[in-house]
This record gives sequence, C-alpha cells and structure tokens, in this order.
Amino acid sequence: MIKRIIHAVKHHFYHWLRRVPIGNDGIARIWARQIYILPTSSGLMFGAVVMLMLLGSLNYQNNLGLLFTFFLVAIGLLAMHHAWFNLLKLAVQVRGGAPVFVGELATIVVTLRAEQPRAHYDIRLWHERHSVAPVHIPRGDQRQITFGVPATRRGLLHVTELMVETRHPLHLFRAWSYIICDATTLIYPQPAPHAPAPLTNGGATQQRPFPQQQSGADDYLGSRPYRFGDSPHHIDWKAFARERGLVVKQFGCEAGQTLWLDWSQLTASDPEIRLSVLTRQVLDVSASGVQFGLRLPGVIEQPAAGVAQMQRCLTHLALFNV
Amino acid sequence: MFNKPLISFTKKKSPASAELPNAVQVLAVILLASATTAPLMPYLHWQINAFLLLLLAVRLVGWRWPHTLPKLWLRVLLTLTGVANCLYVNHTLVGLDGGAALFATMFALKLLELNSKRDLRLVAILIGFLIVIQFLFDQALFRAIYLGLMLFIAVVLLANLNGGFSDGNRWRDALRIARNLSLQAIPLTLILFILFPRLTAPLWNLGLNSEQAMTGISDNMELGAISDLAISGELAFRVRFQGNSPPAAQRYWRGPVLWEMDGRRWSAAQVAAPIAARLEKVTDVIDYEIVLEPTQQKWLFALDVPLTAPADAVRNADLQLVAQQPLTTLKRYSVRSALTYQTAPLTAAQRLRALQLPRNITPRMRELVAKWRDRAADDWALAQEALAFFHREPFYYTLQPPRLGANATDAFLFETKQGFCEHYASAFALLMRIGGVPARVVLGYLGGEQNQLSGHWSVWQSDAHAWTEIFIDGRGWVRIDPTAAIDSARVDNSGATRLLGASQSMRFNLNHASVLAQLARQFRLFGDTMNAAWQNWILDFSAADQLALLNQLGFGALREYGLAVLMIVAVSLTLGVIVLALLRERVKHDPLEAHYIQFCQRLARIGLARKHHEGPQHFGQRIIQQRPDLTAAVTHFLAVYIPARFGIQANDNAVNQLKTLLRGFHPRQRR
Repeated sequence: MIKRIIHAVKHHFYHWLRRVPIGNDGIARIWARQIYILPTSSGLMFGAVVMLMLLGSLNYQNNLGLLFTFFLVAIGLLAMHHAWFNLLKLAVQVRGGAPVFVGELATIVVTLRAEQPRAHYDIRLWHERHSVAPVHIPRGDQRQITFGVPATRRGLLHVTELMVETRHPLHLFRAWSYIICDATTLIYPQPAPHAPAPLTNGGATQQRPFPQQQSGADDYLGSRPYRFGDSPHHIDWKAFARERGLVVKQFGCEAGQTLWLDWSQLTASDPEIRLSVLTRQVLDVSASGVQFGLRLPGVIEQPAAGVAQMQRCLTHLALFNV
Repeated sequence: MFNKPLISFTKKKSPASAELPNAVQVLAVILLASATTAPLMPYLHWQINAFLLLLLAVRLVGWRWPHTLPKLWLRVLLTLTGVANCLYVNHTLVGLDGGAALFATMFALKLLELNSKRDLRLVAILIGFLIVIQFLFDQALFRAIYLGLMLFIAVVLLANLNGGFSDGNRWRDALRIARNLSLQAIPLTLILFILFPRLTAPLWNLGLNSEQAMTGISDNMELGAISDLAISGELAFRVRFQGNSPPAAQRYWRGPVLWEMDGRRWSAAQVAAPIAARLEKVTDVIDYEIVLEPTQQKWLFALDVPLTAPADAVRNADLQLVAQQPLTTLKRYSVRSALTYQTAPLTAAQRLRALQLPRNITPRMRELVAKWRDRAADDWALAQEALAFFHREPFYYTLQPPRLGANATDAFLFETKQGFCEHYASAFALLMRIGGVPARVVLGYLGGEQNQLSGHWSVWQSDAHAWTEIFIDGRGWVRIDPTAAIDSARVDNSGATRLLGASQSMRFNLNHASVLAQLARQFRLFGDTMNAAWQNWILDFSAADQLALLNQLGFGALREYGLAVLMIVAVSLTLGVIVLALLRERVKHDPLEAHYIQFCQRLARIGLARKHHEGPQHFGQRIIQQRPDLTAAVTHFLAVYIPARFGIQANDNAVNQLKTLLRGFHPRQRR
C-alpha cells in the first residue's frame, strides 16, 4: 500500500520535474532553473557538525570558535552555489551508437561540452541506476562518454532521458539535471546458436553453401546502381568514366548459387525464434560470401552479397513487426 | 576543439571502486588529524595522550602494512579501553576536560577505520569540531593561525576526495578549488561573525573555567607568593590612556588592600564597606581604559587612586574597585584616577585595625624601632628612619630569596636580608605598626610598558608588586614603597634574567641586558601588539558591540531582529555578488588576440563591425573598400597581426608593434 502511494507520488511529481530540452541544434544546454540540488549524506554530516560547533561556541561565548564555525558555514553555502554553477550551461548531446545484438551492451554516446570559458569538474552520467565514472571537462573542450545499456529486446532502443550529476566541489551537495534526449540504437535479434542450412534458389534443394571464391569465372549477371558497402572491385569503372554514374557489375555463379533465407521455410512456431534462426543464417551466409536474399512476410530483400547486404537484412529482422 | 573519446563501462549504483581512497589520501587524513590534535595535547592528561600516541602508531603501521590493521573485535576492545581510560583519568565523560578527552580518543579511534572515502570525509569534517574544542582552552593568535591552516587543509582534502579531476593534477586542482572557496568565504565569514546574534547568557553550563587555576594576585599575601607570580610571563591587563600617561614613578596599579597580619600572612580579613571613601584633595586627574584578563577574582585594578567606579563595580572605603561578579571573561572598563590625593582622617576602629600586631614580634624588632623612635621627631621621620635602614644595611632585592624559618619577618630583617617586594612591604608595615604608625599593605602591579606600535600599555603578571601605606595625621594615607629604598647596586638582576628571559619586568634595568634579550623583548612587543588587536577585534567582540554597530547604522531600535535581518540581507547580497562575478568570468585572451579585439572594437564604434564569418584578411579588405582613408593604418596593423597570429614563426616583437600601432589608431566617423 505504502509502496503504491510512494509510486503514485513519484509518478505525479515525475511530470512536474523540469527537464532540459533539446535545442534546435540537437544539443541540450542546462539552464539555471533546470538544476536540482540536495545535500549528500556527507553534506548532512557537515551540517550537523557545523550546528554543534555553532551551539558550543555560542554557549561559551567563544568568538574564535564562532569565527571558524562561520567560515565553515560560508564554505558550505559556497559549495552549494559552486555545485549549481558547475552544471550551469553545460552542453549535452546524446546519440545512439552502432547496432548490437540482443544480450550485448548497446552503446549510447554522450558528448559533454564546456561552452563557457570554464572547466566542469566531476560530471557523472546516470541512466536508470547505471552510472559512469566522473569526468572532467577542460574549458572550451569536450568529452565523449560511451555509455553501455544492456540490450534486452530487438528493435530500436530509445534513450529519452538521462541524468547529469555533479558533487563538485566538496561532495557536500549533489546537483543534477534531467536531460531530454532522442538517442536510438538498433538492436538486432539474438542469433540462434545453430541454424539449418538455407535453401538455394527458391528452396528446391537443401544444399549447404560452401565458401567459394568469387572468381572471374563467374558469369556476368547484369548491372545495378551502386549501393553503400559494395566492393570497389565490382564497380564498373568504364561506365563511371562515361559519366553514367556509379554502377556495380553483378557476377554470380550459376543461378542456383543464390541463397534465399526464408521465413516461411522455418518450422519453429515462435516468431522470435524464427527471427533468431534467420539472424544466425544471415551471419553464416554473409560470412561465406555468397549472394543471398531475405524473405519475410511483407518484406523481400533482393539477393546481394557483402557487409551492406548483411546489415540491411539484420535491420529488417530487427524491425520486423515492431 | 578536439574529441578525446573516453570509454567507460557501466557500473551499478554506488560503485564501490570509485569510493575507495588511495593511499596518499589516507595518509594525508592521518597526518592532518594528528597535526590538529597535537595542540590539544598539553591540556589532556598524560594517560590520554599516551593512548592517542599508541593509536597513531598502530594507524601508521597499518598504513604501511595494511594487514596489521586491527580487526573489528580488536577495535571494539580498543574503544572500550579508550572510554575506560577517559573515565579513569577524569572520572567523567562530560565537562570540558572529560568531553575533550573522550572526543580526542574517539576521533583517533576513527582513524583505524578508514575504509571508504566517506570515512575520510567524516574525519575531515570533524576536524572543525576538534578545532572549536581547542578554542575553549586557549584562544591565542598563533594557535588560531595554525588551526586555521589545518581547517584549510581539511577543505583541500574534501575537494581532493571528490572525483572528476583532470588527469595528474589532482592535488593542484583541489588546492585551487579550496583556495577559491576560501577566498570567497572570507567576506561571508566576516559578515556572519559581525552580525550573527550572540547569546548574552549561556544555554547550559558544563562547569567551564571553574577548575582552571588562574595566575594573578590573590586576596592575601604570604611571603614568596609574589615572587612566584613574578616569574609568570602572562599578561595581567592592557591600558589605553586618554591624554598623557602617568610618569613611571606613579604607575602603581592598586589592587586588594590588606589589613590583617597573623604572623605568617597578610589578608584583607574583613571586606571594607562599599561606601565611597572621602577624598579631601584631588589633583592630576587621568582617564584611561583597561582590558583585564580573567582573574576569577572580584577586584578590578586601577591607577592609584581611582575616583570613579565602572558601572557594575563599586569603590569601597579602601579605595579599591570591586566588581559584583568574579571575572571569568575579559573585562573592559574605564576609570578616572587621581595621582595626587589626600584621604580623610581615620576612625578609631580603623586606627585600631591598622595598628594590630601578630604575636611573633621579637624583642630585637621592638629594640630596632625604639632606637628610631628616639631619633625621630614624628611619624614621618620614623618612616624615613626605616627606609634609611633598608638602604644602609646590606639588603638585597632578589627573586630567589633564601628559605626563611618559622618567624619569617624576623629572619628576613636580621639574618638573610634578601627578599622580594613582599618581604620589604610586610616588614616595613610591621615595623611601622610597632612604632605606633597605622600601616597597611597594598597589592597590585607596578609599571607597565608602552607598545610603540599600537600605543597601548601592557602590564604583565611579572609586574606584580606589594607596597605599603602609612597614615600620617594631616596627610592621610601615604604610599611608601620600601622596595624602592634598596640601593640599586644591591638589586640582583641575574636571577630575573635567568628566570624570566624576555618577559622580565621593567624593574630589572634591562638596558644592561644583552642584545639578544633586547631583541627578544622587541619581538614580544610585536607579538603583544598583534594579540591586542586580536583581542580587541575578535575575542572581545560582544553583543554590546553589535548593538553599538546597529545603532550607528540607524537600526538600533530593531535590536536582535534587526541584526538577524541585516545578516540575512548582507549574506544574500554577498552571495549574489560572488555568483555574478562567477558568471561574468571572461576568457583571458592572449595579448595578440586582445589587441586584435581592441582593433575590431574601435572599427565597430564607427559602424564597421566585423562579421562573424570574416577573417582578418577579408575584414581588412572590406574596411579598405568602405573607407579608403584608413587603408594605411589597417594594412599596417594586419601586416603585423596576420603573420604573427597565423604564421609559422613566432614573433615576440609583434605584440609591442601592435600596441604602438593601436595607440595611433583612432578612426572617426565620416561626416
């Protein structure tokens, strides 16, 4: 019951919290009213000791004791302002990192920049109870922090909120801000440990794709426009010289050597398991260097070879029905 | 700008490794804690100190070889031992001595348990409390400076224990952060100190000061008491004269007046009635202010003789100032005195008291006085006979008189003939009483030295003195200082110099002393000036001073509330100024850049502002296009600036050239 009330209160205040919005240039800049500040446990201890010193000195009318007590009071007050000041105008940019498979750590790349002519000390990042070691940002400089978030589901991993925190200068106060961000990292399905060999040419025969060299003996199949990731060896440089743009010459062995990875050919009933198996197949086939295509319900990726083809196929698998 | 990628791995909440202190930090905390405890040790019992040193040794060994650090059960055992030790020594854990011993012990025990940064922070924070405890024992300037340094180091440590510094410069960064914080804290500290409302009465009393023995003049005089006092180097009081200071021979600071002699000691016996003594004639009036160190006694010292009494004191029939309460804190008061005066005639009862004799008057004392009586025409002549006797006979003035027997006065007069002022005063008063002249002994101080730096006068415990007053019909009580009658050749300097060093009294002709002693004396005078200012401005600042300040500001009617409001406003304003100053912090340009910026600003003033995308080259071309009359100046400037700024070779002379060029460059708006 109490937990539910606490949760409700938290939920209620969650919407009231001020957050740092993303600017037009995609960078969030922390402004004065978006900074929260509370004493740490050391800060509370500090307060208690100063209170004791104050009471003792006042009681014994000890002016020297009062002088030292007030010095600590002033230090405490200033430490609070410095903590606030340390976050002020810090620029934060968050973007997703390279795609990963489920079960790995997805990376979020956070760039912290000191736009003001002063350094920022002890900047810590928090994302859902995970933090990284504090960093120092020299004035006018920036620091890039790669943040690992466990990838648990395929699809797009969105990071929409991040917390930037500091305990500068004396660890007596903790100042923090919530940063709104829009970082996405693509999460591929987890590859199955084993996968059946894919079908060749539409699925008549089950033949294991042996790794074979793409030799000059292969037949010329035709041309198609260049796509990112194609090998420079296959670019039709003569066509390029004739100013017909970048065109890739497609070679192939016999038509039967094109593999199709097909959703409908798999037997597993759980779609996630099928995607998992397909992922494994994509990785295996791509490693062998054979041309392959992918058929999913509603999605067809025409056969091709290379890293770019693998990435396209994995992206289809990652985003299938999400 | 360049990117420095910094790959970090995720950590669960409260990462343990980040909270582990490094060995240098642990050692720094141990050393700081020891250095802060050290000045407290003279006030603790040796057994407590021995336990503290044991803990420190264990801790240092444990730092070098961590596996030797006591385990939990041993730490519990040590804690119990520590508490038992405190109880055994002080029989209590509260009160100043008991509490200080307990806190020092617990603080040292905490040093055995420095596992995380949190522990280190706790120790650094508790340093503040340890310092305040010490100030309850002693508030001297040097201690304050030393402990202030310790507190600053504690702040440096707190900064250092925080994370997120640039690599390799951890301590330098921490030092800079702590320095900036401390500098900004100074104005706030002063405002709080001046304006924070004080208590006028303590909230509770833990028996502070009651057991501490104080040096100073007591209310009776036993032979040898003052010579004990005279080797104390402590301050008795400070004086500031309004107008001229009295001549050296008149600087008698009057304290208790003693009437009764029981053969062994002089005492006041019965307190004189608090009625104002009548003075017949008064001249040479002098006004001054005294700041008296705490004495735990009631009397206030005043120049012989006081005419007025401060607000919370009375002037009794013995012309002595008596406060209503024993002086437990510094006491500041103003008095008016007369150097020349004549007292009223004695009553019969007073005359009887002033002639009382103890039982141990010997026949040879009576014979001596009888001999003088034959020669002397009156009481005054009798006194002169006695002074001549002290001068003629081989009486020595020394701080180290030989031991006297059961009848001290007799032995002193006829056998040892060596004594300090109390011997002479006591003997002289007794001889006068034998001769039928009313006499009494006065305790106080003689002398005082002016501090050339601050202008105030200091009177030291080593200036403690005893003299006599005899009653002469028609003249009243007359001060007679028998010590002054001794032949100056027989004043023994050596004992004083050896015992007192630089703090010996002015009485011992210091002009003949060594250069080193003179230097030491000068040094003491300087230290005394500092201490006087310290006392005046810091230690002695009170609620009354606050209200006086408030009155000057015109908020006197608001009393404590006004003070509180003023304090809050002043602190807020100061904080605001500091934050604004932080916000306006500008980049420091290198001189080359600064000159270029100035160049651009001057052009901007005549409407030719540089656009953000324009480099110096393009900007210059545009200026020349728009204002051909400026061609020479602009071309010249840029011809120096561009190669210096962007060229490969550094040109040290360029800055000076630019400076010269700028001096003559004042473009005007075209009409």
